[in-house]
Amino acid sequence: MSSVALQQGSHSPAPTVAQTLMQRETRVTYGEVPKALSGEPIGETSWQLQGDRFLLRGEGHHYFHYRKGHGITVERGPDADLSEESLWLNGSVYSAIASLNGLVPIHASAVAHGGRVFAFSAPAAGGKSTLAAALAGYGLPLFCDDTLVLDLSDPDQVLCLPGHKRLKLRPDAIELTGATPEEPVSKAVDKYYASPAAGDVGVALPIAELIFLEEGPNLEIEPINGAQRMVRLRGDHPAADLFAAAQHFDRAAHFAHLHRLASQIKMARLERPRDRSRFTESVALAAQYVVNGGQR
Amino acid sequence: MNALVKRNGRFTEADLDDEIVVMRLDNGEFFSLSGTSAAIWRLIDGSRDRRALVAALTADYGAEESEIAADVDALLVQLRDTGLLADD
Repeated sequence: MSSVALQQGSHSPAPTVAQTLMQRETRVTYGEVPKALSGEPIGETSWQLQGDRFLLRGEGHHYFHYRKGHGITVERGPDADLSEESLWLNGSVYSAIASLNGLVPIHASAVAHGGRVFAFSAPAAGGKSTLAAALAGYGLPLFCDDTLVLDLSDPDQVLCLPGHKRLKLRPDAIELTGATPEEPVSKAVDKYYASPAAGDVGVALPIAELIFLEEGPNLEIEPINGAQRMVRLRGDHPAADLFAAAQHFDRAAHFAHLHRLASQIKMARLERPRDRSRFTESVALAAQYVVNGGQR
Repeated sequence: MNALVKRNGRFTEADLDDEIVVMRLDNGEFFSLSGTSAAIWRLIDGSRDRRALVAALTADYGAEESEIAADVDALLVQLRDTGLLADD
């Protein structure tokens, strides 16, 4: 994937503390790992979190263990599906490491414009990667695919870490968006890695807006106000559960966390028909909204 | 009448835009209070009974006392039903 420099000059900005931390903490070594963190041996495709450690088991005997300050250890059993390894590492393992280090993973794909991040959230297969990729047609570079990691260390703003995952698209989405297909993602997934047509962004940027994609008869963007913003965040994604578990939140602390995010992140809902014939129109609406800086 | 008292250990709350968001701590249920409801909630501070609450709101809003009283009574029923307000 190519990177698009957002700032003039010959030097890229130095990585933020959070970016450096994630680079350091996601180093991978191979070896034996514990098979349980909390008593019961871990089952296939499940995770356990205990203190500063995280254990995930993929299909078969494929284990991923993380301990804060020690990076990731992967144990590959004879039946491990290696084509899935990077998906686990970049998915739940990455989200858990972010969470254990105070960074907030949310389920969203995003583009950048004007030095800020416009993120699109939707359930799995809800079209967020396809929309973000299609916005490249309006010159909007990809910021992240599928998972957006938020850095809350500055009390005055919410900073976003640039995406760590390569863009993944279904064959029909590649055709719709004009992205360049590369190799298949894995044996089990009918998706391809792809290069976004407008490149991507490699620097941390503040968030401009979180836009929830919804299916419906109308094509419109409406703001989300008040308590609805907290409710939307609460229903996010398994990544939200990981963060709550990693931070040992009780209900009051979780409420305070959601309130901080809702206070600092502008939100909207984009309703659109899931009708291929109206895809271009819905991308145009989203692009206009982003280019106008979040104004309808 | 007795002063109206919130059950403070049972919820947490925060302002967001023009709303007050209240969450019950026992089950995580959210409530959103806006407009008159938010004003009523703010005025329930352990020092006012229902009559004083209605009087304060009537003065603030310049509305008919009967209209305000109806709003207050409706919200007080909801707050008691949800366990956020102590019974008289």
